[in-house]
Amino acid sequence: MSEANKGFDPMKLIQDARDGGLDAWAKLMLRLTSSHEYQRVQGAISKPTLLAIALYRKAAESVMTELLANLNMPSREEVLSLSTRLTHIEMAIDDLGAGLEQLRRSVGGARPQRTSTRERDGGSETRTVSTQEA
Amino acid sequence: MATTEKTEPGLLDRVSTMVDNLVKVTTTKAPIGKTPRQAIWTLNKATLYRYTPVKPAEERHRVPLLLIFALMNKSSILDLRPGNSFVEYMVNKGYDLYLLDWGVPGPEDAHLALEDYVLEYIPRAVRKLKQVSGSDTFNLLGWCIGAMLSTLYASLRGNSEGLKSLILLTAPLDFTDKEQISLARMTEERYFDVDRVLQAFGNMPAGLIDYGAKMLKPVENFVGGYLRLLDNLDNPKVVDSWHAMNTWVNDAIPLAGGAYRQFIVDFYRGNKLMNGTLTIRGEKVDLNNLRASLLNVIAEDDHITPPCQSARLLDKVGSPDKQELRVPGGHIGVMAGSGASKGTWPKVESWIATRSD
Repeated sequence: MSEANKGFDPMKLIQDARDGGLDAWAKLMLRLTSSHEYQRVQGAISKPTLLAIALYRKAAESVMTELLANLNMPSREEVLSLSTRLTHIEMAIDDLGAGLEQLRRSVGGARPQRTSTRERDGGSETRTVSTQEA
Repeated sequence: MATTEKTEPGLLDRVSTMVDNLVKVTTTKAPIGKTPRQAIWTLNKATLYRYTPVKPAEERHRVPLLLIFALMNKSSILDLRPGNSFVEYMVNKGYDLYLLDWGVPGPEDAHLALEDYVLEYIPRAVRKLKQVSGSDTFNLLGWCIGAMLSTLYASLRGNSEGLKSLILLTAPLDFTDKEQISLARMTEERYFDVDRVLQAFGNMPAGLIDYGAKMLKPVENFVGGYLRLLDNLDNPKVVDSWHAMNTWVNDAIPLAGGAYRQFIVDFYRGNKLMNGTLTIRGEKVDLNNLRASLLNVIAEDDHITPPCQSARLLDKVGSPDKQELRVPGGHIGVMAGSGASKGTWPKVESWIATRSD
């Protein structure tokens, strides 16, 4: 390709014009979305939307709680609090495990570790589990 | 003599490749976060991973390094893809590397607050790390909100739990100059009712966080990125890189309601950490108690956490060994961009290397 031909590239011209326009647009939008006026409008729109979502959520929860109670099943709140309690139990077990490990170290004993494989994130991963954790 | 001629692909081949690439990036997820690792500890949704070392023990650095990323995005950004992975880079340099992954909070985690992360999760993960590594000391690298959590931990527990060095990347700590911080304007009390958001959703939804972040640069995020892809659809290197980053960006996770509320009220609005009035579970967070060696990395073109959000940090901390490193790049690009492997990573690595033996 000759130098003369290289000099004229219509696609490049179109791209440059597009990028120039995009830059100008980006600057304009940045000024707009950074302004207090924009935040005020955003806030004005979001307030009733959030209120409607909260009201809907409250109503749905109250209906579900009643329904679940009639079916003799635990409510959402009860399941959520169960999860919190399980996490606390996990923490207690973790602390016990660490305490036992410290004790083992202080008496100078060696402890073998076993390895188990499990699937996580779609790939095979190995989890090293201490005998105390197990 | 035989000559090998490299034939240019025809127009039809190019168009076919471009269509294939477009279908790939729009319909599939890129394989990210694939450096081999083992889960060695879990608590609720959090998991502590240890990356499988590639160097023998005698060639590895003695002090293990723990990575902590933000709460509202997946930590796979630290291990984006082979050849562009900070994790892979550090493992190849001989670090005993650990990652504390927060997992995805569910509705049952809406109450989780900063004190849970800083005083319950991190100390337990550190205890396990020390047990597995056999080291009494460790180094810590936090990025974004992970850097904020690391700073709180370092100030409250770092000295007693063997924290040797701390690296902070794009840390949102100082909210004094609100006009410079777009997110601060967005979350001002008169425009944004944080309690109403949490009343409606429990946790801060990933979609809202993502929208807020993207609206800081709307044209670049909603249009520019896609045009860049279209311009390079026949360039496999650019397409793979774009695909990996897009997979990560669109895999945001919700932020636990309790922590989000503190983040907005105590940090964005109250600037309590810098004012010295922040308390975590009744304990005052005094930055002067942060005595570990400190490297504060600031991204010069960061629009999410502008430089002013941690530029004054060195004056506040009590570390005798402290340094600020300014690097070109944005909030994410500084560590995961195409230039990071020749820019930020070697600088961070050379700093931590001298403090890891």
